[in-house]
Amino acid sequence: MAVSHAAPSGYLERPKPSGLADVIDIILDKGLVIDAYVRVSLIGIEILTIDARIVIASVDTYLRFAEAVGRLNIAEEDGSQGLPELLEGMTESGARSKTKGAVEGLKDTLGIGGGDDDDDEGREKPKRRRTSAQRSRRRDEGDE
Amino acid sequence: MSEVHVYGIVRAGDGRPVEDPNVRRVVHREVAALVSDIDRGGLLASSVLRTHWRVLEEAASNATVLPVRFGTVMADDRAVVEQYLEPLHDELASGLAEMDGKVQLTLKGTYREDALMAGIVARSRAIDRLRSEVEKLPEAAAYYKRIELGQLVAAEVEATRERDTQHVLQQLEPLAITVRAEAQSTLKAAFNLAFLVDRSRVDKFSGAVATLRRDVRDWIDLRYVGPLPPYSFTGDRVDPGAAAWA
Repeated sequence: MAVSHAAPSGYLERPKPSGLADVIDIILDKGLVIDAYVRVSLIGIEILTIDARIVIASVDTYLRFAEAVGRLNIAEEDGSQGLPELLEGMTESGARSKTKGAVEGLKDTLGIGGGDDDDDEGREKPKRRRTSAQRSRRRDEGDE
Repeated sequence: MSEVHVYGIVRAGDGRPVEDPNVRRVVHREVAALVSDIDRGGLLASSVLRTHWRVLEEAASNATVLPVRFGTVMADDRAVVEQYLEPLHDELASGLAEMDGKVQLTLKGTYREDALMAGIVARSRAIDRLRSEVEKLPEAAAYYKRIELGQLVAAEVEATRERDTQHVLQQLEPLAITVRAEAQSTLKAAFNLAFLVDRSRVDKFSGAVATLRRDVRDWIDLRYVGPLPPYSFTGDRVDPGAAAWA
């Protein structure tokens, strides 16, 4: 995947205003802890905390990495399918939910970043979710 | 009476930093907690999370705010004062003074997986060799070899992360007041760094991010988010100012 966009002239780097999808991992476990506090019981929160644990040193992870280098090999040799497509297939299906990442899991759980976030994030402007839609146009990215 | 959800702490003198009529201030001397009534039954985490995020974003754009951890609920306004604002008044006041004029900028790097894997295979003969072996075996027979291969790759990914993180820190840390490395949330994550930056230096910092983006564009996608309330710098009272990365 030969991505070589030149930055548009006059392009000015700016931090993007946060959308919930960008900061959800930050919000969930950051901030002042009040000693006497009660953590509210919210529907969905148990799932959130379970999803937030990602195990790097796991068999799942190793198999996924092995698959990643293996796919690379196939793509190099037969050339019939471009590498980006193969990798995408892997990202979408090969990566089991356990290894797809806490944040993606959280977004799924919360239903944000899935296309139904527009009403809720209407005030944010240009930047957007990391959605499956975005993942599937990864090849076009890189100018961001 | 219903309980109260606590969003964050602001200076009493800064007035009302949030327009939402459901959010009120519980004031005690120089500090105030932003709270709203909450009814426990049937609350959806997603909606409370959104409110939490919005209240803090709005508060941060109008005042200095210390975020309180999401999901914090206290019995009532009196409990907020007696169990929190009163006993920790001075600490909260100095925490607010410390965060004055500072913002959090978060930079997340995600590897382009193909570039990452191609680099690893090119650098490690052991991985390249094992990869060919695995390829020749039937899938079931290669199970343990695949795990072994994955372990080698995982170690290389880790080493690559370490290198790339150091590179980013070299470029950006001098422009920040402090930095924290946050947990990686996906296997493709390269780094997740929270920088506390003086408002007056945000443009300079952004310039450095632009340079960095060009440096790493072939193998890392960058997400640069902010300005945020100082979520990552208000959590631990234990060791303030110390870099959390090591």
